[in-house]
Amino acid sequence: MSGRYLLRRLAQVVPAVAATLITAFVVIHVAPGDPVLALAGQHGDAAYYALIRAKFGLDRPLPEQLLVYAANVVRGDLGVSYVHGRPVVSILLERLPATLILMTSALVASSIAGIALGVTAARRADRPTDLIVRIAALVGYATPSFWLAQIAALTLALGTGWFPVQGITDARHVSTGWRYAADVIHHLALPALVLAINELALTTRLVRTGVLQSLATDYIRTARAKGLPERAVVRHAFRNALLPVVTVIGGRVGMLFTGAVLVEAVFAWPGLGLLLLSSIQTRDVPVLLGVFLLVSLVVIVTNVVTDLAYAWLDPRIRYE
Amino acid sequence: MSRALRTPGGVLGFTLTLMFIGLALAAHVVAPADPFASVGSPLNPPSRAYTLGTDDLGRDVFSGIVHGTRTSLTVAFAVILIASIIGIAVGAVAGYRGGGVDDLLMRGTEAVQIVPRFFLAVIVIAMFGPGLDRVVFVLGVTSWPAIARVVRAETLSLARREFVDAAHAIGARTPRILLRHVLPNAVPTALVVISLNAASVILLEAGLGFIGLGDPRSISLGYLANNAQRFMRVAWWMTLFPGAAIALAVLGLNLVGDALSDLSNPRRPGRTA
Amino acid sequence: MRRGQRWIVLSALVASVIWATPAWLHAQDTPTRGGTLVVAISADPGHLNPAITTSGATHTAAELLYNGLLGRDERGDPIPDLAESWTIEQSGAVYRFRLRNDVSWHDGTRFTSTHVKFTFEEVLLKFHARTKASIGGALAGIDAPDDRTVVFRFKQPYAPLLMQLDATEAPIVAKHVYQGSDPQTNPANAQPIGTGPFRFTSYRKGAEIRLARNAAYFKKGLPYLDELVMRVIPDPGTQVLALENGEVDFLWGVPGPDQNRLKGDSRFRTAQTSYHPGGSNCIMTVSFNLERPILKDVRVRRAIAHALDRDAFLRQVLFSEGRVATAPISSELAWAHARGLNMPSFDRAEAERLLDTAGWKKERDTTRVARGVPGVPDGTRLAIDFLHFPAFSKYGELMRQQLGAVGIDVTPRPLEPAVFAPTVFKDRNFDTNVISYCNGPDPEIGVRRMYHSSQIGPVPFTNAAAYRNERVDTLFDLAGRTVERDKRTPIYRQIQEIVVQDLPYYWLVETPTTRAWSAKCGSFKAWTGLFAEAAFCNR
Repeated sequence: MSGRYLLRRLAQVVPAVAATLITAFVVIHVAPGDPVLALAGQHGDAAYYALIRAKFGLDRPLPEQLLVYAANVVRGDLGVSYVHGRPVVSILLERLPATLILMTSALVASSIAGIALGVTAARRADRPTDLIVRIAALVGYATPSFWLAQIAALTLALGTGWFPVQGITDARHVSTGWRYAADVIHHLALPALVLAINELALTTRLVRTGVLQSLATDYIRTARAKGLPERAVVRHAFRNALLPVVTVIGGRVGMLFTGAVLVEAVFAWPGLGLLLLSSIQTRDVPVLLGVFLLVSLVVIVTNVVTDLAYAWLDPRIRYE
Repeated sequence: MSRALRTPGGVLGFTLTLMFIGLALAAHVVAPADPFASVGSPLNPPSRAYTLGTDDLGRDVFSGIVHGTRTSLTVAFAVILIASIIGIAVGAVAGYRGGGVDDLLMRGTEAVQIVPRFFLAVIVIAMFGPGLDRVVFVLGVTSWPAIARVVRAETLSLARREFVDAAHAIGARTPRILLRHVLPNAVPTALVVISLNAASVILLEAGLGFIGLGDPRSISLGYLANNAQRFMRVAWWMTLFPGAAIALAVLGLNLVGDALSDLSNPRRPGRTA
Repeated sequence: MRRGQRWIVLSALVASVIWATPAWLHAQDTPTRGGTLVVAISADPGHLNPAITTSGATHTAAELLYNGLLGRDERGDPIPDLAESWTIEQSGAVYRFRLRNDVSWHDGTRFTSTHVKFTFEEVLLKFHARTKASIGGALAGIDAPDDRTVVFRFKQPYAPLLMQLDATEAPIVAKHVYQGSDPQTNPANAQPIGTGPFRFTSYRKGAEIRLARNAAYFKKGLPYLDELVMRVIPDPGTQVLALENGEVDFLWGVPGPDQNRLKGDSRFRTAQTSYHPGGSNCIMTVSFNLERPILKDVRVRRAIAHALDRDAFLRQVLFSEGRVATAPISSELAWAHARGLNMPSFDRAEAERLLDTAGWKKERDTTRVARGVPGVPDGTRLAIDFLHFPAFSKYGELMRQQLGAVGIDVTPRPLEPAVFAPTVFKDRNFDTNVISYCNGPDPEIGVRRMYHSSQIGPVPFTNAAAYRNERVDTLFDLAGRTVERDKRTPIYRQIQEIVVQDLPYYWLVETPTTRAWSAKCGSFKAWTGLFAEAAFCNR
């Protein structure tokens, strides 16, 4: 695609990043209490507080503080967690992979299932199958994910004994190589399933709408009038229907992160969700802010990537 | 809108939604007892005396659900109100002014849309303390972009300047034009957004409750579902009914949203042949 | 009977007895070596140094890596651990400990008295809140005259020392690891070296901690287990599921609703105990802010006490696991717990009568208003707030229900622990609150701080009520100096009688926890942090 489009798209990242930074900054400073205590904890000593004050420029005027904060974040310095005694960035990077594995598997699973269901619903539009499929998908979305997770743990894990209820690996047998991967997948199954079910409805609805819309276009009507086999017609409609699925991945990623927190809590999956939980209890504000910024960043990046992919897929945009 | 009611999905959705709204409005009539009051022995299964059983403190689950619906829907309504005010303002100005103002506002809208609502709510509650007002504020202030887009689209489509100039000529002021002509056209599409938003607000509130950031002073559906988690294996009625209530409310709102959005998307395969 | 036949009959008898005995009895009689025990813990400990913190999460995870000078038996009395014997001299002003000489650290270094002296002086007395608060003020000095002797010298006779020397209150850390560094940031906190029955293998933050058997442990033959894994599982329901699914073998606490089911399931064993590494012998206690005019009148406080149905608290919040508190000191400290005290009974009529007498009248509203209450303007509603951790919200709900029934409007205010502490102790911005005050192994450790007037201040979890009573102060000082238990008992009795009259607090329920483990494993010591020292599993 054109370089201009690329640059323009990348430039749009700036206000998004600025919005998240400003939001985080405002929250720290508007909240009751001294920002130093929020960032450094209640039990620090005077020297540590002075250090934090200097680092975040807390004695300088607010606009300057914002710039200091922004500069720090851009450099990758999200502060130090006084609870863990380590830089926030290292803590986040430690926990991120587990959550990414969970989210990616859920994303793939719900995409495949969503596409299948959406196409089914579209092809039988307005007939009973359509309604059943849509309602089933919606029920999956409407049920709170922690509720679904508990039911899944109770029935699919404890009930059948096929799946474990907690953790990312087997506690008793430490494995390596292929066995390790298999172990992780075994533990991944239920959390990813719950997360996927929760997220399915959106994809199903999008695909269904997309297929129906493209089936109604003149292009398709012409193809039909020309006597093209139905299968070819569907294939064309299908390709166009996929576009919304791709574009919306950014929003889905945000939703998946939220769902991941609740699912990780139930299944003791050691990712960002569990980190968020423990940081809430200890009031570890630097980590809470770090998670917020990280999630925002991932959503922004996903949006950029999918927008570029969308532009690549849809020839209409390519030649701008 | 009546066309939307013709589809089975639409019917189901509207029925559910109206049922819940009715329940919320008539809460004091349907379940006049204080939902916080202990009415019977704890952990009673559903019976004639207690339609949906009692919870661990002996409170009536049915009362809890009725009042919980009221609270949850009130929260959703408040969020939508705030989001609508901001969204309409931004969307109308962006669509009407166009040009640089439009660009700026749209960049801002995209930026706000990125902000992950749940995580922001977590930080705000962690730092300001629990409370439904915090939830309402955070969600309201981050949910307006979708509404702004809808309003902007409608305002833009009304960019027939002649119409506006004519209206101006007869002395009508801009806000009046917007109010009388733009907004009514925006309502159907906005309703889609609103119903979907309401649904996700209910789920977000339940999720916050689950991780311990809910407001224990008010009974909401999220509080009930969260409270009942521990008792899932000894008192199934405590989790089933609030969970079902949430699911049905969200389902109803989504079906309504679906039906309304189907309306604005022309698609009738097979009718063309 | 001929000799051969006798032997056959005897063997047959023995064999049939063994065969008839249920398998679990076998499991508990004959320890099997080897195997892995998986333990569920509720929170990531953050680090593994229990000497710099009183956090339950760290102590639960890390105590098996260390020892104290003494240990605890089932009744909580001191037994030898790193110290093999001790003498008390000068009526309790001097304690002399003789240490074992066969103890080595996990890295092979020999354990000597210098490690003990270092741990107390540089670590415990600086960072361990309970030890610092109690021993810190009373200690004159510690001497290590030779490798096997440690001497504690106190300014005055100090009674509770022997109860404060286990791995929970005073774990001993390695001098050669921590010397010259800041104990709070030393990297050894994540890769600990101790003397305990298990040594550190790995720690995956937020997920699990792996420990391995210390083959050179000074208690010969122990531990039996090869490996011990602690899994972080924050959701209590999931912990139970994991136990039932065989993924986890040991739980530190069984949630109320699941207790009956687990107790009735022959695949599991349970044990109730008031010991917990984060704090033992705890009583859920309501504090009255005595500085608030509404609560200054003891009749109001007594009315509140009479209005509370503590059995309801026990049933509904604790699922009957625990007891209603019958004295200010926990019944687990049997020698100090006063029996037959005149605690206010659940009597709504009496509560209403007291409130009426104190000038709080019931008028049109359900909430009483002041008419002639000193320090309170007429017409003020009897409305109080009730601060609590979010985890204790049930207490708030019951308080609101039960006090509402006698005309007191209670507003529960949930506050996260990090905010609760400064709000209550620094700002004193509360009317009432509920705190799990843990008495600890000795009243000097956990009870004194609630009532002594010197303990009013910003340090969290001290004298929340701001109670001042000179006589009680004097009695506590005396009890702290008296070493003989039978002489301390009457002193604590007098204290309890006074505070039950004054009612600066109201003691609701004692809160033990129930441990649960797979029946395939056994020999756990639920009363100490070294719970798996002698444990084994038969699989």
